[in-house]
Amino acid sequence: MSYSGKSVKRLYDDKFVTGRSTYVDDLKINALYAAFVRSNYAHAVIKRVHKEDALKMSGVVTVYTGEELNRVIKEGIGPWTTYIDPRPWKIPKWRFAQGEVKYAGEPVAVVLATDKYRARDAAEAITVDYEPVDAVVSMEEAKKDKVLVHKELGTNYGYKNDFVAGNPEKALESADHRKKVEIGNRRLIPSPMEPRGIVASYDGSNLSVWYSTQIPHFARAEFSRIFGIPQSRIRVVMPDVGGGFGSKAHIIPEELAVIASSMMLGKPVRWTATRTEEMMATNSRHNVFRGEIGFNNDGTLVAINGTLEVELGAYLTYTEGIQPTIIPLMIPGPYRVRDLKIESRAIYTNTIPITMYRGASRPEATFIIERLMSTVADELKLDDVTVRERNLVREDQMPYTNPFGLKYDTGDYLTLLREGVKILEYNSMKEWARKEREKGKRVGVGLAYYLEICGFGPWEYAETRVTEDGGVIVAIGGTPHGQGTETAIAQLVADELQVPIERVKVIWGDSDAIPAGTGTYGSRTVSIAGSAAVTASRQVLEKMRRVAARAMKADVEEIEYKNGEFVHKREGKKMRWEEVSRLGYSGKEPGLSASVTLEGDVTFPYGIHMAIVEVDEYGMARVKEYRAYDDIGRVINPALAEGQIHGGGTQAVGQALYELAVINENGQLAVTYADYYVPTAVESPKFKSYFAEKYHPSPYLTKTKGVGEAALIVGPAVIVRALEDATGGKFDFTPVIPEEILKKMK
Amino acid sequence: MKVEPDQKVRINVKVNGVLHEAEVEPRKLLVDFLRDDLGLTGTKVGCDTTTCGACTILLDGRSVKSCTLLAVQAHGREITTIEGLSSDSKLSPVQEAFKDNFALQCGFCTAGMIVQATFLLSQKKDMTEEEIRDSIHGNICRCTGYQNIVNAIMDASRRMKA
Ligand code: FES
Ligand code: FES
Repeated sequence: MSYSGKSVKRLYDDKFVTGRSTYVDDLKINALYAAFVRSNYAHAVIKRVHKEDALKMSGVVTVYTGEELNRVIKEGIGPWTTYIDPRPWKIPKWRFAQGEVKYAGEPVAVVLATDKYRARDAAEAITVDYEPVDAVVSMEEAKKDKVLVHKELGTNYGYKNDFVAGNPEKALESADHRKKVEIGNRRLIPSPMEPRGIVASYDGSNLSVWYSTQIPHFARAEFSRIFGIPQSRIRVVMPDVGGGFGSKAHIIPEELAVIASSMMLGKPVRWTATRTEEMMATNSRHNVFRGEIGFNNDGTLVAINGTLEVELGAYLTYTEGIQPTIIPLMIPGPYRVRDLKIESRAIYTNTIPITMYRGASRPEATFIIERLMSTVADELKLDDVTVRERNLVREDQMPYTNPFGLKYDTGDYLTLLREGVKILEYNSMKEWARKEREKGKRVGVGLAYYLEICGFGPWEYAETRVTEDGGVIVAIGGTPHGQGTETAIAQLVADELQVPIERVKVIWGDSDAIPAGTGTYGSRTVSIAGSAAVTASRQVLEKMRRVAARAMKADVEEIEYKNGEFVHKREGKKMRWEEVSRLGYSGKEPGLSASVTLEGDVTFPYGIHMAIVEVDEYGMARVKEYRAYDDIGRVINPALAEGQIHGGGTQAVGQALYELAVINENGQLAVTYADYYVPTAVESPKFKSYFAEKYHPSPYLTKTKGVGEAALIVGPAVIVRALEDATGGKFDFTPVIPEEILKKMK
Repeated sequence: MKVEPDQKVRINVKVNGVLHEAEVEPRKLLVDFLRDDLGLTGTKVGCDTTTCGACTILLDGRSVKSCTLLAVQAHGREITTIEGLSSDSKLSPVQEAFKDNFALQCGFCTAGMIVQATFLLSQKKDMTEEEIRDSIHGNICRCTGYQNIVNAIMDASRRMKA
């Protein structure tokens, strides 16, 4: 019996297909509703908040501003110190707005009312007197440090650090060719389908929070720090979560206001973001790389020297500090270039704060390095495959330490490239597109390569418990929210324990039920939570062998376990799984469970993806097909892994072609959900996804690497390259919107 | 009919076969009536611009976005929500097909997608892939990339013919 490697059906789909799922807004809890009054100004002094009219309205309980809320919100929102070293950063204190607003959309007051219609009515009845002050809403302006977002910091630069390896100046000088480059991603909006939401209930001693989050345990720790309540008295529950993509791993002031209100009123309080609010809760990407590269006649890239600028928005969110520190490290990608200087900068502006988004740093780095590879190809009139062949790290260099010290674990990049070109039919499709273009069609084919860093530690928690009736409960610190990793983990555990998968139940996301955890992000869950679950399962099995040995009056070594039976090797006596389970709960030392906190470190999957793009006469581009060939280590559930390629690939279509969070000159978000183009079924491509059969394992017990972000990491570079093939233009910024395509077409 | 501010209106609506008599504020959205008043939270709200389709229900057998109708507009009519598509013991062919084809990830769009697919298949049994894509373009899914959803709908159509 083996489940791993098979496309086992997802364990818990019934509730979703029948409408019995429970997202945070579906919880039937009698609570007050919160609604927010928000600033229209990007930067202003708050003179007065007129609450009177609102307070007179029926159903309105109270209105709070920063003055009241910040008495309870003691500490500010800070960076995720597990992954971000705060020391080189300049960090403004970020609580609920008090005295001053720093971005358009920032909440200024919260209304608490008996239903959401009344709460929203009352929020509209509140007027605020502002005194606008100079705002700086573009990164280019902010760099001048003329207008400051936070006076107390003395600069708009939140972070400055130079990443240097080798001698890029010298390498540039001795290169056959030099070329200036400018590459970047513009601001987008992650847009999970479920807007974020929270219910907080403070009962006088304990705080319970139901929260649409990817990181319930970190949230508990942050709430503890911010509100000064011990973690043991806080319970954070993650109900069903309707997508996160990295955007549900940070805390916003609205959520703190809900908790603070519940504490002050002693009543449950809830808030679910409207889509418009969700669009203001999380913006992502926006980074520019400007610099120069050096390369030789044979196509080898020998030097990269430039500046990376990452926009922060008005405050440093929990997750955005990751980008300026990880992007530089991953710019060399799978290639041998060793002389680099990346001056990394992060810049505050009076705009919606920016957070990580699926891929977090690796899409940005991959877009830069893949655009550089394509630039070299174009300059030398070489094809994309040849240039990559000449630059990829060789198998005999593995494990390879990249110029910034990252250790690439396993892989054969060149073989995968060559296999991929065949499997994806790159050459024949290129030829087909060329012929189509001769007939007057605008179609193109493009590819790009990626190396991903994922499977982040530092650790993950898992417990395996065998119940009295022989069931298995696996409690994980990972927090699946759509990926289906609970099913993959059940497969691993069922194999490890040699029991039918129907017996295995996987639970997560409740800080009272799961003592510790980090969460699901960075394509880590199967590798690290899965390996933790397998380890815990092994330990439980050991315990069961001891129970069986005691019962059969044998030494543990004499007991062999196989397919649900504990066999006394010498005497041939047997005990069934169920018998041992029951016995495990009697006598001294009752209970059959084992918990582990498994430490782990990063691993590096890689792959090659290809797209076919067609452009119409109006400059409207469509990705017709998207093909992927990846070495993600061992594949536990191929259908789930493919699903990640489809979903990430579709987000890549959005990032490459459609999704642009326009900020107008007043710093206001100038798009609604109706004109922010998340791809629909019409704009999304047909997918073909293949995984390397001869995979290269990670050091994790599961041998898996990770696949959750792959297609969004490489997809934008792939699609932009295909678009160039189709139009003959050159595009270095995402999204490439129709106006820009049209210009290059003529 | 003229209604004063704060005055409620009496409506009769049959939802999933059960008749409900209720008093609602005239401005109450149908989706809020279903979710907050009747507790039928299977129908979701994903946007405020009639864009996403998470709130799709059947009104007298036709698919509509329940965030874009008032509860009073449902007076005297029949509604089917995701909860009404299956009896507890048996899933509908569309529901089965969604499970079997990995047509959901986070599940938030799923109710709307299944209701929309159920409506489509009640209108036309044989649809090409392109037709299916066109007919679900008012339902946004951020997770699946749609291919498995399209496959599920084609699969459901085969099951319904069998
Ligand atoms: S909630 Fe009705 S269309 Fe989005
Ligand atoms: S499954 Fe998540 S939005 Fe469709």
